Formats: sequence, C-alpha cells, structure tokens
Amino acid sequence: MSSLPDPVRDGLKRGWRVNGGPYAKAPARIVCDVVVVGSGAGAGITADLLTQAGLDVVIVEEGPLKSSADFRQHESDAYPSLYQESAARKTADKAINILQGRCVGGSTTVNWTSSFRTPVETLEYWRANYKLEGFDNDTLAPYFTQAERRLNIATWLEPPNENNDLLRRGAAKLGIPAAAIARNVKGCWNLGSCGMGCPTNAKQSMLVTTIPAALDRGATLLVETRADRFDIANGKVHGLRCVSVRPNGAAVTGSESTIVARHYVLAAGAINSPAVLLRSEAPDPHGCLGRRTFLHPVVLSAAVLEQKVAGWQGAPQSIYTDHFLHTEPIDGRMGFKLEAPPLHPVIFASTVAGFGRTQARALKQFAHTHVLLALLRDGFHPHSEGGEVKLRGDGSPSLDYPLNDYVMEGGRRALLAMAEIQFAAGAREVLPVHELASPYTSWPQARDAIHGLPMKPLLTKVVSAHVMGGCAFAGEERLGVARPDGVHWQLDNLSIHDGSLFPTSIGANPQLSIYGITNRLAQALAKRLTGRDVILA
Amino acid sequence: MKRRWLLLGAFSGAVLALGGGSLALVRPGLRDGKLTESGRDVFGGAARGLLDGTARADEIAPLFARIDTLVTGLPQHAQGELSQLLALLESAPGRRGFAGLARPWTEASVPEIQDALQSMRVSSVSLRQQAYQALHDIVGAAYFSDEAAWAFLDYPGPKAI
Repeated sequence: MSSLPDPVRDGLKRGWRVNGGPYAKAPARIVCDVVVVGSGAGAGITADLLTQAGLDVVIVEEGPLKSSADFRQHESDAYPSLYQESAARKTADKAINILQGRCVGGSTTVNWTSSFRTPVETLEYWRANYKLEGFDNDTLAPYFTQAERRLNIATWLEPPNENNDLLRRGAAKLGIPAAAIARNVKGCWNLGSCGMGCPTNAKQSMLVTTIPAALDRGATLLVETRADRFDIANGKVHGLRCVSVRPNGAAVTGSESTIVARHYVLAAGAINSPAVLLRSEAPDPHGCLGRRTFLHPVVLSAAVLEQKVAGWQGAPQSIYTDHFLHTEPIDGRMGFKLEAPPLHPVIFASTVAGFGRTQARALKQFAHTHVLLALLRDGFHPHSEGGEVKLRGDGSPSLDYPLNDYVMEGGRRALLAMAEIQFAAGAREVLPVHELASPYTSWPQARDAIHGLPMKPLLTKVVSAHVMGGCAFAGEERLGVARPDGVHWQLDNLSIHDGSLFPTSIGANPQLSIYGITNRLAQALAKRLTGRDVILA
Repeated sequence: MKRRWLLLGAFSGAVLALGGGSLALVRPGLRDGKLTESGRDVFGGAARGLLDGTARADEIAPLFARIDTLVTGLPQHAQGELSQLLALLESAPGRRGFAGLARPWTEASVPEIQDALQSMRVSSVSLRQQAYQALHDIVGAAYFSDEAAWAFLDYPGPKAI
C-alpha cells in the first residue's frame, strides 16, 4: 500500500458527496441540473466544466471508487476491481480481449498515459465523410492546448526504458522515424505500474484531476451504480434509471433509483454508451446506434534479447512510430502505429501463446523479453466497418467484431514490420504472438514463416485497449447518432461526450482526442445551459 | 444459475445430445461462482498439461482457490458460459468428442492432456479453440497472480513506495 497522501481519501474526509457501494445508499429519487453517466475521460472533463458553470451535477459510475492508497501494483487486485469484466471482456466470438476501465476515472485510471492529438488526416476524413465542419486542427487546437495544460501533458523527456528504447534503436537501424510520446503525468516515479492504478498520483487521470474538482464544487458521485436506461417520451429524456451493482456487475435487487435532470450526458465508453441507449430503446431512425464500433485491433510480437529488458519497469509506451500509418493512403490497406507496452506476469502469461514446456521456455525468458504492439487503424475503408454493440438477454452489452481478411492482412504486415525492427534491434529470437508460430532466429526465417501463417481469428492473438464509435457524431442526421455538438439527433436534452462519438478509430491512443473534443462540446453545453463561458483550466 | 445451452452452439449440443447432456445439466462446472468438483477435475487436469515445466505437482491444487477468486469477478454471463463449458468438458461424451481426451481429466497422463489441448487449440471448430483459450488464460492468470510464482519469471515484484 502506498504511504503517500491520497487526494481522494482526503476529499472524502472534506465531505465529498459520494453514494453507493460502501458509502451511504443513493436516494430513490435525485433531482439535479445535469447527470453525467460515467467518470472517465469525457465524463471527467464534462463534470469539471459544468460544475464551473455553477450547475448541480450528478456523476454515475458503475465501478468502485479506488485510489492511490488502494493501488498495490498487483495485477490480481487491479484487474477485478478496476477493469470491465475483470480485464477479460471479449468480443462475441472471443477472438479479441478488450481492456477497458470500470472504476472512478474510467480507463484514464488504468491507461498507460500515451497522449496524442487527433491526427490531421483523421479529422480530414471526418469532415469529408461525416460532414463534421469545424473539426479541423486549427479550430480544435485551443481545446487540446487547454486539456494538455490541465492534465500536464508533455513529451516524456526521461530516457525510455529498454523495452521502448529497443523500438527506437531497431527503427533507427532501418531508417524508420520514431519519436517520444507525450504523457499526462506530473512528477512521475517511472514505476511502470500505470495499468494497475498510479500509486503515486503522478498520472493526471480523471480520478485525481477533474472528478475531484467537480466534487469540491459540490457534485454528487454515485459509485457501484449502473445507469440502466433512460425514460424517453416525446423526443426528450425524462429520467435515468439506475441500479446498484455488485463487484462483478450483478444488479442488487431492490436498489433502483431514478435521477431527474434538465440535461443528460452519456459518457460511459464506447461499449456501454450504445448499450444504455439500446436498453432505453432510444430512437435510431437511420440504424446507426451501436454500429461502426472500432477497436484499433492490436497484434503483438515478442522478442528475446541477450540483455535484460525488464519490461515491467519504467514508463510504458514512451516511444512510437507512425511510419506504417503513412506508407499507404488512409483508405488503402490498413495502416498501423507501433508502440512498446508494459509487461507484467499475469498479462504476459495469459497472452503468450502455447503451453507446457514450450511456454515454460518463453516464460523463463520473461526478464529478457521485449514486446511490440501494432494498433491497426480501423474504420477508413469499405471493408473496415468495425463491430456492432448488441444486447444479451440480460441487457448486458456484447460487441460483435468480425476480424475479416482486410483487417488480418494488416495484422500480417504488422507482424512482419515488428519482427524486422526487433531483429534490427538485436533480438536473438522473435515470436509473433500466434498459435502456430514458433520462435524464429533470423529475419529471413521469420519473414518466410509470417508470410505462411494463417491470419485467422483465435489463431492470431488480438487484443484491444481502445474502444471507439457506436454513437457517431455527424453533420447530417442520416450519418450518425449525435450532432456535431454532441447532442443526440432525436433527443434534445441528451448529449454524448465520450469516444463513442468517433465515426472512425482515431489512429492513435484516444485519450487526448476524447479530452480535447469533449472539452469543446462541454464548453458549448455549459453556455447553452447557463449562458456562462467556462474553460478547462 | 441460468443455463443457456444454445450459446454453446450446434456442435456441443450434438455432443451432449449423443449421451451425457442430462448428466452435464446436473453437474455444472460452477456453483455460486465457485468451482464444483467437476470444474476442479477439468481445471486440475488442464493445469497439469498447461503448466508442465512451470509448476510443481503440489502447486496445482492451490490454483482452485485462486480460480474461484478470479471467477467471482466475472460477470454473470461469463460465469454461465464457463460453467457450461466445464460441464461439457467433464462429461464423458464431451471429454471424448469435444476435448479429444479418452480418460478422465484426473486420470489422463500429461501427454494425453497435452494432445487434447493441442487438438482444441488448432481446431477448425471455433468453440473448441475458445475452450482451449479459456483454460489457458484462466490457468495462466491464476498461477501467475501469486507472488510465489514470480521467481520463475525472474520478476522482482513492484517497487515499494
């Protein structure tokens, strides 16, 4: 347990209004100005700005309130308490494992701090295809700048850990440009435990920035409380029905409460936001709801080095290359971004393919193992329509994301690119994470083998930590669920403020895109509701 | 726990219908979110094959409590699917027809279990692949969530702060 000050526990002592879970039961009926569903990137920014404007805000979070004093840097604590479905959320065919936060702060509490503005080419594509006028670099720049200042986002100037430096060195040998990643940290201890909750509060997640700011201004936070459905009639939302949940998400019988607000903001993330609207039977005249959900499907390549890598240690993901996003047109073959993720025992053992003595050999080399990942940029080609969020019989969401040949062809090129970089960096052997691959000891051997691998779901290991889309915003009603200002096309007192708005994937780790864009939307919403100008500062 | 057999698809439905469906129905792999004896038999056997070369024989039984903890955190739909899967794998027709294992999980040798795991792993039937991956991921997560297993990885654990 961390012995450092814990701003969340201090806030609770100061009298923050928190209900649900271990705190006082939420009243059966709550009336407020605005209810915000979720407490992650979009929700945090929105709650911060709306409380600045003087609005009475209630934040509804399905997960628990955990903070630095709870963060022991143990995967066995972190996955069940901080992640959706104990970090084992899967697509319908179980071919993609999805890492998504489910705690106060949402995914920002557990992400690896990588911060990129929305790429210019992504914004161009949105303007051309989704009529999102005004979503250009210059117009968005002030909103990104404010978010960067608020969350201390800056290029990481410390030397990268060995896991990341291998990407830098391997890419350099091949003439591939690589650069340092900006991170949202203040006084980072370089521990490498970002994915288990930051024990030093260096990570400027929503948990320690915007949510505390909103609570200090009198907002109410309901934890371990699921937004079940909106009551909708005559083109308006009339209430939000909530239910208390157990740690595994099971509803507690007899725990229902209703929140009545002037305005409703849905920011539950790009699987749960569409699910709330589906459960609510929200109008969807053009069949957009839950469709075009994107994941940046990730394929991985492990390498063994002579020297110790200790991939658990030091800032994760501090070096990247976008070279392979720019070798093709954006709507051509699938591009990908390369990064080097943190390595910890549970995630490594459950991700590395194989079993028995073969796997034991790979595990034994854990300390010398370097891993690269490729984020595949989905959503820009007719054969990349992403997935669809549907509801199971019990109302829980399920994402059906078919890994078709177009996507998997990108995966093959990514495995090739990563293996070549890893050999250039001095790898003794490279193991593409695929059930039919074996460790290869030279680039020509790996190249020939990867060309021969069947790139099929469930044989190729595919994971994701970036869920986007499903409630796209667009400048024409037929193209999306929300208007360019984030307001639902058919429900005038409902806004959507999270990554579900994105009509394609971002092509970069999405947290700063969510911060910047929802900053703009929330400022406009605050003005509409109060007439006041507020900025993120 | 609600049992939704349709989720398991036509292949396993046929296996169960051939004999053993009713047996599996009354022998779920989980009860109240914890492994039943059937569930322990399957995980115990699978772990012997999966962790061969990593874990000692006396490290298998302690896995059950850690798997229980892990399963408790899963949502109800995932617990339901896992319970059905374990019931299928434990039933004689499921074990033979679905997992490809002739002898019970508790009696089969490590090479026999590994042959069965490998046949599921590279099967053309996606449900068999899913079953392999569920066993692989849960056993690996349960084993390496324990600090005692970290020495094998030369992982020192988190820095004290």
